[in-house]
Amino acid sequence: MGTAVITQASPKYGPPTDQTHAEITRDVVATLDTAPRGYYYLIFACVGCFLVGVATFIALLKEGLGLAGYQPPIMWSVYITNFVFWVGIGHAGTLISAILFLFRAPWRTAVYRSTEAMTVFAVMTAALFPIIHIGRQWIFYWLLPYPNQRYLWPNFKSPLAWDVFAISTYFTVSTTFLIYGLVPDVAAVRDKVTGWRKFVYGKLSLGWQGTNTQWRHYSRAYLYLAAFCTPLVLSVHSVVSWDFAASLIPGWHGTIFAPYFVAGAIYSGVGMVLTLLIPLRKHLKLERMLTEYHFDNLAKLTLLTGTILFYAYGMEYFVAWYSANTFEQTTFWRRLFGPAWWAGWSMVIPNAFLSQLLWFRKIRTNLTALWVISIFINVGMWFERYVIANALGNDYIPWAWDQMNPTWADWGMLVGSFGWFGMWFFLFSRSFPVVAIQEIKEFVPMPMRGKRAGAKAAAGAH
Amino acid sequence: MAERMVPGVLGHYEHMDAALETIEAFRTQGRKDLVVYVSHPNHEIEHALHEPISPVRRVTLVAGLTGTTAGFSLAIYTNGLDWPLLVGGKAPISPQAFVVLGFELTVLIGALSTVFAVIAFSFLQHRKGVLYDERFTDDRIGIFVPSAGAEQDKVASLMTEIGAVEVTRA
Amino acid sequence: MAENTTMTTGTGLDRRKFLTVLGATGAGAALTGCSTDRVAKLIPYGTQTEDQVPGIPTWYASTCTECSAGCGLHVKTREGRAIKLEGNPDHPVNAGKLCHRGQAGLQGLYNPARIKGPMKKSGAGFAEITWDEGIKLLADQVKAAGGAFAVVSGGPRGTFEQLLRAFAQQAGGSVTKYEPFDHEPVRLAHQAVFGRDEVPVVDFAKANYILSFGADFLETWGSPLEQQRGFAASHGFDDAAKGMAKHVYVGPRLSLTAANADEWLSTTPGAEAAVALAVARHVAEAKGADAGIRSALATYTAEWAAKESGLTAKQVDEVAEGFAKAKAPVAVAGGIGAQYANAVELCSAVAVLNAVAGAIGTTVRFGQDAVQGDGAAAILALGAKMASGGVKVALVHEANPVYALPKSTGFAAAFAKVPFKVYTGQFMDETAAACDLLLPNHHALERWDDVEPRAGVQGLLQPVMEPVFKTRHTGDVLLAAGKAAGYALPDAADFHAHLEKTWKARLGGGDPEGAWREALAKGGRYAAAPASPALRANPAAIKYTAPAKAAEGEYVLLATPSSLLHDGRGTNKPWLLENPDPVTKMTWRPAIEVHPDTAKLFDARNGEIIRVETAAGAIEAPVVLYPGIAPGVLSMPLGWGHTAYGEFAKDRGANATDVLAVAKDAKFVAYAGQSVKVIKTRGYQKLARTEGTPRQLGRHIAEAMPAAHAAKGLSVKESYLELGGHTHDINPEWEDKAIEGWYETQKEMRVYGEGNNYAGEHPAWGMAVDLSKCTGCSSCVTACYAENNLPWVGEEQVLRGREMSWMRIERYWEGGEGGKALEARFVPVMCQHCENAPCEPVCPVYAAYHTTDGLNGQVYNRCVGTRYCSNNCPYKVRYFNWRAYNRWAWPEPMQLQLNPEVTVRGRGVMEKCTFCIQRIRQAQHDARLEDRKLKDGDVVTACAQACPADAIVFGDMNDPESRVRKIKATNARRYHILEEINVKPAVTYLAKVVNVDPAHLAEGGHA
Repeated sequence: MGTAVITQASPKYGPPTDQTHAEITRDVVATLDTAPRGYYYLIFACVGCFLVGVATFIALLKEGLGLAGYQPPIMWSVYITNFVFWVGIGHAGTLISAILFLFRAPWRTAVYRSTEAMTVFAVMTAALFPIIHIGRQWIFYWLLPYPNQRYLWPNFKSPLAWDVFAISTYFTVSTTFLIYGLVPDVAAVRDKVTGWRKFVYGKLSLGWQGTNTQWRHYSRAYLYLAAFCTPLVLSVHSVVSWDFAASLIPGWHGTIFAPYFVAGAIYSGVGMVLTLLIPLRKHLKLERMLTEYHFDNLAKLTLLTGTILFYAYGMEYFVAWYSANTFEQTTFWRRLFGPAWWAGWSMVIPNAFLSQLLWFRKIRTNLTALWVISIFINVGMWFERYVIANALGNDYIPWAWDQMNPTWADWGMLVGSFGWFGMWFFLFSRSFPVVAIQEIKEFVPMPMRGKRAGAKAAAGAH
Repeated sequence: MAERMVPGVLGHYEHMDAALETIEAFRTQGRKDLVVYVSHPNHEIEHALHEPISPVRRVTLVAGLTGTTAGFSLAIYTNGLDWPLLVGGKAPISPQAFVVLGFELTVLIGALSTVFAVIAFSFLQHRKGVLYDERFTDDRIGIFVPSAGAEQDKVASLMTEIGAVEVTRA
Repeated sequence: MAENTTMTTGTGLDRRKFLTVLGATGAGAALTGCSTDRVAKLIPYGTQTEDQVPGIPTWYASTCTECSAGCGLHVKTREGRAIKLEGNPDHPVNAGKLCHRGQAGLQGLYNPARIKGPMKKSGAGFAEITWDEGIKLLADQVKAAGGAFAVVSGGPRGTFEQLLRAFAQQAGGSVTKYEPFDHEPVRLAHQAVFGRDEVPVVDFAKANYILSFGADFLETWGSPLEQQRGFAASHGFDDAAKGMAKHVYVGPRLSLTAANADEWLSTTPGAEAAVALAVARHVAEAKGADAGIRSALATYTAEWAAKESGLTAKQVDEVAEGFAKAKAPVAVAGGIGAQYANAVELCSAVAVLNAVAGAIGTTVRFGQDAVQGDGAAAILALGAKMASGGVKVALVHEANPVYALPKSTGFAAAFAKVPFKVYTGQFMDETAAACDLLLPNHHALERWDDVEPRAGVQGLLQPVMEPVFKTRHTGDVLLAAGKAAGYALPDAADFHAHLEKTWKARLGGGDPEGAWREALAKGGRYAAAPASPALRANPAAIKYTAPAKAAEGEYVLLATPSSLLHDGRGTNKPWLLENPDPVTKMTWRPAIEVHPDTAKLFDARNGEIIRVETAAGAIEAPVVLYPGIAPGVLSMPLGWGHTAYGEFAKDRGANATDVLAVAKDAKFVAYAGQSVKVIKTRGYQKLARTEGTPRQLGRHIAEAMPAAHAAKGLSVKESYLELGGHTHDINPEWEDKAIEGWYETQKEMRVYGEGNNYAGEHPAWGMAVDLSKCTGCSSCVTACYAENNLPWVGEEQVLRGREMSWMRIERYWEGGEGGKALEARFVPVMCQHCENAPCEPVCPVYAAYHTTDGLNGQVYNRCVGTRYCSNNCPYKVRYFNWRAYNRWAWPEPMQLQLNPEVTVRGRGVMEKCTFCIQRIRQAQHDARLEDRKLKDGDVVTACAQACPADAIVFGDMNDPESRVRKIKATNARRYHILEEINVKPAVTYLAKVVNVDPAHLAEGGHA
C-alpha cells in the first residue's frame, strides 16, 4: 500500500469544505468510469476463492461434516467462527451510518456508504455459515416458522431460532437502508452519464428528481430508518452472543457476553473498514473527500472499542477467579496456557494490546500503520471467536476433553467466504457511488451571492 | 417529451439566497404549488416552503407496534398453545425467551413499512411532465411555477429579477 | 404374543413352556430363516410357521462357543435372523449374563470373512467345489494316509468330539485338542501338589478374601463371566450386614482384575511366587498345618519375600495376616499374563496356600475338571511329528494353531510340511489359508451341537436360523466321509439325529421326547456340581526359582491377553475392536504399555513406535504411557497381528508372540517374563484412545469411600470430609441459593393450559449404577451396540474422538503420584435423561424434548444437526453422525444383525442413549395386552440385562415398589454426577467402596 501521504489536508480540523458541488459530483461519478485491468484481476481472484468455497461445500454435502476437523466435544468450530466473524464485521457499517447519523457526526458522511455496503455483504457472507455448518443442510428451512401439515414449529426458546430472526432482520433492514440512501446519488449519476448506463441508472433511481416533496418524506423516513438500525446494531450481536451465553458451557455462559460481543463486533468492523477503505481511497482517487480527519476518527473508534475489549478480557478472567468456580477457572487457564495457547494469544495480543497504539495521533494519521494494524485486528478477532468455540474442548467431564484439529474443509470455507465477500464489495465499489454525494454536499453549503441589493441592481441594469 | 407537459415556468438558480428569495416571493403571492429541485436535503428550503412534517411517522409507529405484537403472539401461539412441548424443564410459555422475536419483528416490519410509505407518498404521487433539468442533481436549484399564458411572463420576469441564471417555459 | 414377550421379562416357568415348543421346532424354524445368497424375491409368509410371527421376536436357547466357559444363550431372532444374544437365566455358569465376547458372536455369524463354501487349494488361492467333491476328497485322502492322520481340534467337549475321536481312531490317527489359553501351569501344579491334572472351579461368591497372583479372573482366566458374577456378589457392597470381600492383586501389571482390587501390590515380574510362599508360610503357622508343609515353607519369610519381590515386609505381612484371619479365603494364580517360566512353582505355592488356608473344597472345588485342551506339550509334539513327516493328512477343526503358537515353536513350518491339510473351521484364518481343503463348519448359531464345559454342565446348541453361507455341519461331513471310507461310525442320517439319540439315551426317563424338549428349552442339562474330594498337599511340590532378571539394558516383556480379543479370535469383530480396552482405553490397534518413568529411558512419548527385539524375532508397535505397570516392564496385548482372518483383523498391529522364545518341547508357552531389547524408531502412530483427561480434577465424577464408612452409612460427602477433604461442594453457597427453588416453580408452571399433555400420571424412568459392583468389563457397551444399532466408526474416526458409543466406561486415575497408591475408578456414563435437560431448550426444531414419562427424547427425523444440544450437554453423551457411518458399519452380510426395532441413523443427525425406549414401549404394550399395570422389572435395558455384576438397575421412579426408587431414596452412597449444575439427572450413581482401612486411605488419598 506504500506510505500514503494525506493530500489536501483540510485547513481546519473537520470535513473538507474546499470543493464545489460540481466537483463533488464529478469526482464521485469519475469512480464509476472504466476500471483499470488490475481491478478485473482482483474480481477474478475473488471469484476464484469463492469457487474454492463452493467446491468445499459440495464435498460437505456429499460426504458429511466429518470432512471438517471437528473433534467432539468440540461440535462448533471454524464454521461458527466464520459466522460470528462476518456478522461482527457488519456492525461497524450500521454503527457509522445509523448511530453516527443520529449523533450528527460530520465525519461519517464520507465513509458511511462504503461501510454500509460492507455491512450488507458481510451479513450476506455470515448468513451462509449457519446453513453450511448444520448436519443436514438441505432441510435448513425447518428453522423457519412456516405452517405445515404436521403442525411442527421451531422452538423459540432456542437462541438459534432467535438467530434466524436476528440475522434475517439485520440483513433485510441494512440492505434497505443502503439502497434507500443510494437513490438520490444514483439519480445524480444518471444525470451525468450517457447511453445504456443512463438507462440503467435511470431505472435504478426510481425517478428521483430531488423535488421538495421527495426530500420532505425522504429525510423524515431516513431518520426513522436510522432509529431502527441503531438498536439493531446492539441487538444482533447480542443475540449472536446468546448462542453461547445461553448455554452452560464454562467460558460461554457469561453475562458479560452481549456487550463484550457488540464491542468486539464494532472493533472488528472498523478494522475491516480500514483494511478496505485505505486502498480504495487511493484506487478511486478520493483523497479530497476522505482525509486524515476521517481516518483519525475511525482510528479513535477502534481505540475505544479495542479498549472495551481489553476490559472485557480482563473481566472474564477476574470473574473466573472471583466466582471460585472450578470449571470456569480451568477453562480460562487452558485458554492461554492449555494445548491451544497459541490461539489464545493470537486473540489477546492484537485485540487488547495492539489497539492501544492508537492513543498516538501519529499512528492514527499514518495510513500505512493503520492499515497494518487493521490486518492484525481482523486476524485477532477471527481468533477470538475460534478460541471461544474452543472452550467446548474442556468443559465439565475431563474424560471427554479433546482438541480441535481443522482440516482443508475448514480452511476452504474460510477462503470461500472472503472470495464471496470481496466479489460483491469490489463489484459494488465501481458500480455505485461509494461516497454519499448528497450528504457531502450538505456540508458544503451552496454559494450565497451576498446582498440582495446587488441582485436588484443587476436587475435594474437589465 | 412525449407526454403532455404541465404548463409553467422553470427557473434555474446557482445561488441559495436567490432561490430562497424567489420561493418567498411566490409564497407571498399565495402560491402553494411550487416545485423546488435541489441536489441535497436542504433545511433552508424546507423552512422557506413552510411544509408540514411528513406523515410517514404515523405509518412507522403503527407498523412497529404491529411487529411487536406479531412477534410475541407468534411465539406464544406456536410454542405455548399449538404445540406445547416441555424442554429443559421450562414452562411452555416463557416470555423472556420471546422478547427477541418481538423486537426483531418490530424492527423488520417497522422499517419496511416506512420505506413503502415513502414510496407511496413521494414517488407514486410525483407529478409527471413537470419541467426538469439534469443539473438539479448536481449544483443547481430549480423552481417550477405552474402558470399559463400571460402569467408566465410575469413569473419569468420576477425570476430573472431575483437572479435566475436561466428560465425555461412549458 | 403374550408368552413370546414374557421371554424378555417373564418368570422362568412360562419361558420354559414356551421354549419347549421352539426347541422341538428349531429345525423347522431354520427353514423360514434367511440367508444372503438366497434372497431372490420377497415372499410374504403364506402360512405361518408355528414359531415365526412377523414383527414378534422368537427366542431360542443355545450355548456360547466364543470361549471354553460354555455360557448359556438366549438368542433373539426376528423374521428368521439372529439379532441379539443374551444370557440364559437357567444356566449355572452365566445365569442370564453375557460378556462382550459372547455377544459379539453375532459378528462371527455374519462375518464377511467366513468361508462361504467348500473350497480346494488351486495355485495361490482356492477354488470352489461342491460338497460331494469335498467329502469324497476328504474320505480318499484320509484312507490314503493309512494311519498317518492327525486331528487338531479347538472344539469343546461333547458329542461331536466323541464322533471326531471315533473318526480319527477309525482312520488310525488321533485327536489333539488345542486351546491356546489352556492353564497348563495350573494343571501341572495340581498334578504335583494334589496329584490331579485338573483346573478347579473357584467360587468367588463364597470368598471374603481374594488374593490373586497375576490371575486375571475377570478377563481370561478360568470362566471369566461366572467369576465376575461371583466377584460382584462377594466384593460388591450391599449392606453392612453382608459386608464385602477384600481383594488383593499381586503382579507387575494393573490389569482389569488388578484395577478392581482393593490393593495392588506391584512386584518384580516372576516374583509373585515368593509372596505366595511367604503368605503360605504365615498361614501354615497361624492355622497349624502339618509339620511337613511347615518345614517345607520355613525358609520363606516375609523379609525374604520382600527382598525377592520388591515389596516391603510390612505389605507381605499385612496380606498374610488378612488372609490367615479371613473366614473364606481364596488365592488364585496361573493367569496367562503371569505365565512366567516359573509359573508352575507359583501355582504350586498357591495350591499349597489354598490347602493350608482350608480353601480346598469350599472356595476352590476340584472334581469338575474344567480342562479343555491337551496342553502345549501335546500340540508341540504333534508339530514335531509333522516336521518329521509322520503326518500325511491333517484335519484342523475350529482351531488356529498356526497363528496362536509362537513362531519360535516352528509349528507353522511343520504344519506346512503336511502333504494334505483339511480345515473345518468357519473363518479364513491363518490355518485355513495354509490348508488344501476347506470344509467350512456351520456357525454355532446355525448348528446342532452340545458342549460340556465341566462335569455336570451340558449345554445344547440348536440352529436358530438357516445358514448364512453354503456351509455344512462338520458332524454331517464326518458321517458322510466315514460312510464313504467305510468306517464304523455311529449309524445316523445326520449329526442332528445322532445328537438327539445320544441325548435321549442320556436323559432316559419315561418320556425321552419330553425330556429332550425340556433340555432344549432350558438350553441343556445342569446337574449339581460333584462334591470336591479331600486333598492333601505334597510338600515336595514347594519350590522356588528366582525369575531370570532382564539382561543389562533390556526390559521384561509381558504378553498379556486382552479381555476383548482373548487369544485373537475376537480380532475379526468390529464390536470388540472399537470397544476400548478396559484399562488402557486403546481401540483398533495394540500398543506397548510402558511406565512413564521407563519411557524416559528410551525417550518415548505416546504413539512413538518402538522396536522390541529378542533372539526369536522382533515387533514394532507404538508406545502407550501407562501408569499401571511396574517400571522396567513392558506389556503388549495378545491377539493382534493377524496375517489373515478377514479385513478387520488382517495386518492390524503386531503379534506379541513373535518375540517369545519358546522351546520346541515346552510344557506351556511362557507369555510373561521374556527379556527384550528396545530400540526407538522414527515412526509415529497416533493412538486411537477414547481417554481425554484421566484425572477428575476434584469434580467428584467417580466417588469412592472406604468400606468402614459405607458400613456406617455415611454419605459420599461425609466420608469425603472424614477423610480430611476440605470442602466437597463445587458450588459456592450463593450459587446454590440462586438455583434453589427454581426447579419447583418451573414444575408448577409446566402443568399449563388445555392442550398440555404433561399433566397427569406418568412413569418417570430412572437408573441407578452401583460403582461398588461395576468392574468396568464393558459388556454393557457391546450390549448397547447390538441392541441399538450403533455403528462402529473405525480407527480414523476414533482418532477424531467420534466413536458413537452411547454408553462409555470412563476410567479415572486417583493417586499414583506423591507416594499415593494408584487407583482406577470406572464410571459407566450414558445419557442422564436430566429433568432440566440443557440439551432440550437449545434445539431450534424441538428434535430434543422431554417425553411425558421423563425421557429425554431425540427425534432423528426432526434433527437438522445444529449440534447445539451436544455442546450444551454437560455429560457429553450425545453423539453425532459426522459421516454416513450407516453406510460402512454393516458390510454384507452384517446388516442382517440390525435390530428392526431401532432406526439406523443417517448422516447429519444427533443420537444418544434412549434408555432402550423400544424395550420400554414393548413392555408397556405387553402389559396393556395382558390388561395389567407395568411392574418393576418388566423393563430391562440392554446394558442392565448384560451387566455380569448386576450393577445397573432400571425402573420407574414413580413406582413406590421399584428397586430403583428405593435405591434413590434410601441408599447412603447415592450421588449424581455434576449435581451442582442443577440439571436433575435421572441416573443415580452409588459410590464405589474400597475395602481398605480409612486411615490408610486418608494418607493414600482416595476421593
